[in-house]
Amino acid sequence: MTGSTATRKTVLRRRQGVEFRGALGLTGTLTKYLSVAVLFPTALAIGYREPFWPFLAAGAIIALVGLGLERIGRDAPPIGFREGFFVVAVTWLFAAALGALPYLLSGDPQLDRPVDAYFEAMSGFTTTGSSVLTDIPALDQSMLMWRQFTQWLGGMGIIVLALAVLPRLRVGGRQLLESEMPGPEVDNLADRIRSTAQRLWLLYIALTAAQALILAIFGWTGIDDRMDLFNAVAHAFTTLPTGGFSPEGRSVEPFSAASQWVIVIFMTFAGMNFALLYRVLVRRRARVAIRDEEARLYLTILVAMSLLLAMELWHKGIEGGEAAFRHATFQVVSMMTTTGYASTDFIVWPAFALMILIGVMFIGGSAGSTGGAIKVVRHLLMGKVLRRELRQTLHPEVVMPIRLNGVVVDERTLRAITAFVLLYVGFFAVGAGLIALDSAFQGPPMSAFDAIAAAASTLGNVGPGLGFAGPMGSFEPFSDFSTVVMIALMWLGRLEIVPVVVLLTRSYWRV
Amino acid sequence: MKIFVIGAGQVGSTIVEALHGEHNLTVLDLDPGRLTPLAYRYDVATIEANGASRRALADAGVRDADLVIACTSRDEANLVAATFARIEAPRATTVIRTSNIEYIELWREGRLDVDFVVSSEVETAHAITRVIGVPAALQTDVFANGQVQMVEYEVTDLSSPDVLGKPLRKSGVIPRDSRVVSKIRGDAMTIPNGDTVINAGDRLVVVGSPEAAQAWGELLSPGEGAVEDVVVFGGGQVGVAIARQLLEQRIGVRLIEPDRERARRIAEDLPDARVYQATGLDPDFLERERIGQAQAAVFAMREDSKNHYAATLARVHGVDFTIAIVHDPIAREVYAYSGVDVTVNPRQVTAEEIVRFAHDPRTQQVAMIENDRFEVLDITTSPSSEYVGLKFRDMPIRGAVIGAIVRDGKAVFPHSDDVLEAGDRVIVFTESSRVAAVERVL
Repeated sequence: MTGSTATRKTVLRRRQGVEFRGALGLTGTLTKYLSVAVLFPTALAIGYREPFWPFLAAGAIIALVGLGLERIGRDAPPIGFREGFFVVAVTWLFAAALGALPYLLSGDPQLDRPVDAYFEAMSGFTTTGSSVLTDIPALDQSMLMWRQFTQWLGGMGIIVLALAVLPRLRVGGRQLLESEMPGPEVDNLADRIRSTAQRLWLLYIALTAAQALILAIFGWTGIDDRMDLFNAVAHAFTTLPTGGFSPEGRSVEPFSAASQWVIVIFMTFAGMNFALLYRVLVRRRARVAIRDEEARLYLTILVAMSLLLAMELWHKGIEGGEAAFRHATFQVVSMMTTTGYASTDFIVWPAFALMILIGVMFIGGSAGSTGGAIKVVRHLLMGKVLRRELRQTLHPEVVMPIRLNGVVVDERTLRAITAFVLLYVGFFAVGAGLIALDSAFQGPPMSAFDAIAAAASTLGNVGPGLGFAGPMGSFEPFSDFSTVVMIALMWLGRLEIVPVVVLLTRSYWRV
Repeated sequence: MKIFVIGAGQVGSTIVEALHGEHNLTVLDLDPGRLTPLAYRYDVATIEANGASRRALADAGVRDADLVIACTSRDEANLVAATFARIEAPRATTVIRTSNIEYIELWREGRLDVDFVVSSEVETAHAITRVIGVPAALQTDVFANGQVQMVEYEVTDLSSPDVLGKPLRKSGVIPRDSRVVSKIRGDAMTIPNGDTVINAGDRLVVVGSPEAAQAWGELLSPGEGAVEDVVVFGGGQVGVAIARQLLEQRIGVRLIEPDRERARRIAEDLPDARVYQATGLDPDFLERERIGQAQAAVFAMREDSKNHYAATLARVHGVDFTIAIVHDPIAREVYAYSGVDVTVNPRQVTAEEIVRFAHDPRTQQVAMIENDRFEVLDITTSPSSEYVGLKFRDMPIRGAVIGAIVRDGKAVFPHSDDVLEAGDRVIVFTESSRVAAVERVL
């Protein structure tokens, strides 16, 4: 009768609410594989004859921490739905912390403070692209590539990657995938969650390779004499995840017009739903994209805002001809897809132009893309909800289900979207308020617009702010307090707030 | 013909009523209370047995049947009965009644082993959309893929002075592609000729092209244009079927359903309809939503009394054209008394549809008028018919009128000099008692 006693014990233990040990164990399993990722910059460092021990040491620490956590979870009862949120939220906190180790261990004066290194790593994994560096090219080539690489890993998602590679996570994987993939719902590409994750990652790798190849060809053929293989790969690594890090000091400004246009195209891809892209590119069903309401709205906003901005630039005489059109399109696409590259230093642009850029930061990419912020589909559905509200004011008895691509959207999903948008705006307001307050107490001096831009940019995982934190500037002047606030905003923004905030509710921890 | 009717409810009784004269009928039902009245009223065999039992069917002698009609109110029982009948009497034609759209679809795909499937909901919706399509129509039916339309109109004081009180031949406005096949006044029916005078209170049965039917509607009830806004009260199966068909004809539909879940499901299924979750009996609601502005209102709720009250209320609020679903046959008179324009009995339209299969195989379609006092047949003429080769002016009149002919797939509305040819499909109006005779002569 020992079996029944054991069951009894399990039941009693489950009453704690959250199965801590199992959750930590899974977190350990997920993070320990980061030590494999560190091998890539290690190899580069050896190739470039740069110090490689920071990477090796970091890899060893990551492996030890991961294995240690895994040990905690050994023999723990299996984890369930509730623990899923914990795993996702904490994995991202840990991944950024462990990913910051190479920065710290390298001893580079720009990144030797833990807060700064953590900011840089969080900005990398969450594909934000904000940086505390003031002199980027001063870093080693291998360290620069690690920066780029963290964004590439974070873009499609470290957990999605784990799902694709590790067989163990299959059960319960859907919840983890849904928490990590942006947007309200995950589009299934296959019956098994693992195959879906694999297809998404394969498409992601293929698009990255395609962009790197095109840019490299531009370099070899002399179309762009600033572009070399290093830059081509580095920028492909941060375009597809809508990251925005660049090993260049002035973002992509030094590159030729042709390269910038290629980056515009790939940023546009990156802001689209990857499941939809998979259907269009791999299964060759172009009509799917034309019929998709979100894709249509996404492209319409991109084009309309680009034209509006181009007219403003041309009207004010800031840029002319192709340059006006290119810079307008580049900045709009970069800000809206939440990539954060800049083809020119836009902080000198007039207020209306900046309003456009700040505005599109709140729109974001499509659901299921690598982009951040609120996402086009949520705006679309919120618009439909508002239209229904107005209609029901006049006709209280009318029953109007809301449809997306002809399919009725569940009222629960709509409520969740409303809640998400409110939380998003709430966290943005609190974040901007804290940054402004901090500036008043301990500096640095900034305008209200700068504080707003910094909060919107980090929460939306965009990257550049305004003022000293503009696209060619740095987040270094912010105080430590503001830096921590922005680290939290990036973390919240990448996981779309809810999985994190759920952990802060009382009912989460209770039985 | 030997016909088995399984189910002696309203549909079954109506079928018996229509077919007992010319065919040998056997009626099966589990309820003796339904069988006895039929046995007393008509010369039919009644058997108290379960039609969905193979043994009961065999014992009743189904193997000699030519036609098996399963028309109980239970879809599955009908399906089972037809399946057993197919086993016991492989040569019999089987017809089932169902309200399940899935069965109809399966049958259309040829995956259901029955010969015909008839749905009360679909037939009712057909009847109602046809009425709404033609203003002033009491009843309509279409033949030859919609090329020929049969309409029964009511003549009122508001009808055009060009037709009122005049002999037909004197009125210069009669649409060309049409023929008045009958004038009914009270219980008296006359087959009109050029001298027949039309008066208010008459009911006319006209066979013609859809355009002519529309034109007749304009003449007899001027000022009622095309319908764009119809309010359907009640989101049951019938109400939804009606709404769906109206929407398919690009007629705007507003549907009122009190049940929250049901209203929501309808709104999800019919994206183009405007669905209200309301009872439809609330004057404030009717006022606020301008229900009075609707050109027509259909009452498809489950209870006759509710339909009656709602229809009257809608009339009070200004709806001119009201159509009600009738469940109890007597309700028809109640509705007529309180001014409801058209009534449709789902069971009757179902029976009508089923009765078609009992006719001569040359007969393609049948419509019933005035509670089955008259029928409109669609028959292909045989070469041996005494009428073939005659000019229309020379044909003897024996209580039947040819309203239209379909030749080589095209509708022709014959004039006195036209000649009937063998193989023509003719649309014939006649009294129900003469159907067999008409089929014989043609």
